[in-house]
Amino acid sequence: MALSDYKRDMEGCSRCSSCKWVPFNQIKSWRFAKNCPSICRYNFHAYSGSGRMIIGNSILEGRSELNDNVAEIIFRCQLCGACDTACKVYRDDIDLTEVLLELRAWCVEEGELIIEHMAMIDALKREDNVLGEPKAKRGEWAAGLAVKDINTEPCEVIFHAGCRYSYDPDLRDTVRGQVQLLTAAGADVGIAGAEESCCGGRAYELGYRGEAENYADDLVSRVKASGARTLVTPCADGYAHLKYLYPRMGKELPVEVLHVTQYLARLASEGRLRLRESVPLLVTYHDPCHLGRMGEPFLADWKEDKLQRPMSLKRAGRKGIFDEPRQLLTSIPGIELTEMERIREYSWCCGAGGGVLEAWPDFALWTAQERLEEARATGAEALVTACPWCVRVFRDAAAESGMDLPIYDLADLAMISAGIAQEAKV
Amino acid sequence: MTTQTETLTFGTITDEAYRDLEAAVGAEYASREPGVLDGYTWQPTINDDPAKWVKRPVAVVLPSSTEEVQEVVRACNRHGLKFKAFSTGWGVYSGCTYDNVVQVDLRRMNRILEIDEKNMYAVVEPYVNGAQLQAEAMKIGLNTHIIGAGPACSPLASATSGWGVGWDGVYMSYGHRNLLGAEWILPDGEVLRVGSLDSGLEWFNPDGPGPSMRGIMRGSAGALGGLGIFTKCSLKLYNWPGPALMKTEGVMLDAQTEPPPNLKFHLCFFPDRASLDEAVYKVGESELAYIFTRTAIGAYINTFAPHLLQKISKTRPFRDVLSKTLKWGCTIVMVGSSEEEVAFQEAALKAILAEYGGLSMEATQAPAIGPMMIMNFLRVSAIPMVFRAGGLFSTALARNEAWDTQMDWADTGEEIKKKWIESGGILDDLADNPFMALYENNCWGHCEEIFQYNARDPKQLASLEPLFVEFSVAAIEMCMEPLSVTDARLREVVSPMMGHYNDWQKKISLFLDAKRVADTGMYCDEVDFDFSKVDPEVKAKLDRLTAGFTWTEEGPPA
Repeated sequence: MALSDYKRDMEGCSRCSSCKWVPFNQIKSWRFAKNCPSICRYNFHAYSGSGRMIIGNSILEGRSELNDNVAEIIFRCQLCGACDTACKVYRDDIDLTEVLLELRAWCVEEGELIIEHMAMIDALKREDNVLGEPKAKRGEWAAGLAVKDINTEPCEVIFHAGCRYSYDPDLRDTVRGQVQLLTAAGADVGIAGAEESCCGGRAYELGYRGEAENYADDLVSRVKASGARTLVTPCADGYAHLKYLYPRMGKELPVEVLHVTQYLARLASEGRLRLRESVPLLVTYHDPCHLGRMGEPFLADWKEDKLQRPMSLKRAGRKGIFDEPRQLLTSIPGIELTEMERIREYSWCCGAGGGVLEAWPDFALWTAQERLEEARATGAEALVTACPWCVRVFRDAAAESGMDLPIYDLADLAMISAGIAQEAKV
Repeated sequence: MTTQTETLTFGTITDEAYRDLEAAVGAEYASREPGVLDGYTWQPTINDDPAKWVKRPVAVVLPSSTEEVQEVVRACNRHGLKFKAFSTGWGVYSGCTYDNVVQVDLRRMNRILEIDEKNMYAVVEPYVNGAQLQAEAMKIGLNTHIIGAGPACSPLASATSGWGVGWDGVYMSYGHRNLLGAEWILPDGEVLRVGSLDSGLEWFNPDGPGPSMRGIMRGSAGALGGLGIFTKCSLKLYNWPGPALMKTEGVMLDAQTEPPPNLKFHLCFFPDRASLDEAVYKVGESELAYIFTRTAIGAYINTFAPHLLQKISKTRPFRDVLSKTLKWGCTIVMVGSSEEEVAFQEAALKAILAEYGGLSMEATQAPAIGPMMIMNFLRVSAIPMVFRAGGLFSTALARNEAWDTQMDWADTGEEIKKKWIESGGILDDLADNPFMALYENNCWGHCEEIFQYNARDPKQLASLEPLFVEFSVAAIEMCMEPLSVTDARLREVVSPMMGHYNDWQKKISLFLDAKRVADTGMYCDEVDFDFSKVDPEVKAKLDRLTAGFTWTEEGPPA
């Protein structure tokens, strides 16, 4: 695809500004009515979903030009998909997230690059992860765990840890606990260890599509060779990429792809995972964008006029993973769930995605802090989520602001309830 | 990629002027980046120009306070620039019409400053939207009027500067009637506080003690940004006896709202127009409605299921059933302060139905309709779905008048639309898309004939201007006030037939803005209009009307 292929989407913008707001029936207060971190932080219309489409259309029509300033506007966005979801309440013929992705690829094609993103891609090429950590150390997180090596042994379930969980020392207990929960439930789990690579999704988001395809090919071939029937990942970003970007790129994984919360919820409902210990805590749950609205599976391409596209092929974010994490959470004895105002497909983003955390960490923390304020407003004692990127940026934001609100990965609480851990890191 | 660059020219701003703007609002909140500016230039809604781009501003600023707005306006005065306010930015009215305009985006002025529960009003800044204000008002048993353009829109903008009509008008009036005071930055940068506010007596009354300027500052149609910038206003709130939060699952077509027991939603149908008209007058007199609108089946289907309408509209029997059998209907939402009160309202409605041969379906809990529609009515949140069918729509308005005159306008609109639908000039909605409402228990009614079109179809884009003229001529012929009173293209033609109203607007503009600093394009400017694309018969009719209806110095024609 090329940017010009999205001309009809861009010129279809009616400029109603719905893309800036929580779907109107769900606005519950003045304070938490907005949905887009970028326009909220930077304010000019250009920073909204609509504004970016207008920029693309303006350039295609020869009215303005791509330059450093415009490229920054295009990239100062977490690609959280909230604008797309809100737009699709009212429109069937605009795929806003696809336009945003295409604008990024076009910037890269035109040489309008973000230095921090280039560093991520260099790190990816060098070490197979966007964090720049040594490839050789990728599997160290699993040291001592009773898991198979998929490179040498067949297994039923591949556990793809993802870049953040593989290297972030603060999250090590969590990722180890996730595997322990699976094995405690009797799952036959294998990992790729040092051979595991990034899924390539972040490269795709940053506009580097060639790299994304290479990493997708790598993962697909490894999964095929493993003979596994299920791939489980605790990385919400990775989940979305495997469920949406891979099939969109024509890279079909021959396995069932599940987020770890889905699999754990399934194991719990089957009685294989026993959550017995009480964890008395009033919590609120943050829907990770890439597990929720962006986790909606790829449906099918539609090459014709989108005004005629069947509703069944409209990707509106509602088919993401919202219920299973809540089921798992509320199946833990003692847990009481109180919801924030912005949830499910209209959830506010954590701030970490789309290369924002690396290029503009202040913007990422600002976005996260906004969510922490919303969580605090519920009266919850802790914020629970299911994505390592969300956990990372929430903890960093809370530390910076001094907000005393524990941030848990859902698995942290499940581990305590399953008797695998005594307490969780916050 | 097109190569329009050679032919496109845009206004520019001097470095000195731009530095002054930066000094007024802070460098972070000013921009002259062309891509950013075009974010304010793409204004396709209710814009008949097929290009959909309006004039590009030379800069955009984001003030955060009244004082910063004043500084921006003063900078414009110093540097020979114009200014144009922009709040939530819905519709072409927000756009610039000159080459030297600074767009004043009021997005950072986004607070609800006060909700006075006892005196039932709210003080808001420009970037508060209808949904936000309603959500906060409902928490304390109050509600706000939301305009027909939907909850994304700024109540301040419609009350001070534009139109303010909507479904809940039967109970909650309309924007400019609800205006209880305003803080107004005049074109020279001075602040004028209207009404009781000017006397230090809070925001409760726009007409004194203190200067009552409502007629001057906005008149009937609003000055649409042509007389300055409104930075705060007070809006009347109304009783809301429902829950503090209308608990809703889902977002729109999947929305499921739990209705309170004191809210009922009825779909009513009548055998003919006369019965509907009489019944509607009775509904108003009975003061039973919280929300009222004409039920337009074509509009409903084309909004909620446009693919379905495309299929069934090609089948004559279906078409007839939809457009004839269910033609004379209205939707009524009743909200009582108690279950007993709403039961009384329902009983009154039942009596009206019996008197005029009507039928009603109590749809509050009707599967797939009631729980989905309740919030959409209360918050007017379904309205932007009008974009679904083709991407854009426009409207043909004739000024608010008695209900039956509005029904006349709906009938006229239907006939005009049939011809254009037949020729493929606009989308097929069964020619049945009047947006109709009542005000203040039917003191008068409102009708806009909505027409949808495919934003990417050159033929349909080319229909817009001729259709605009045809609707205008029809309105004049019916002695109604057409939408073109607010359009520079026909003002010169229409104004002489309506008491030369624009001469007065121009005098007001000159008095308040001698240096011509405000962008008056939407308010009182007149531009030449090319009638070559208009049906010669329509143009000839316009000429005849002009000859017959033009006011002389002595007054209206005999």
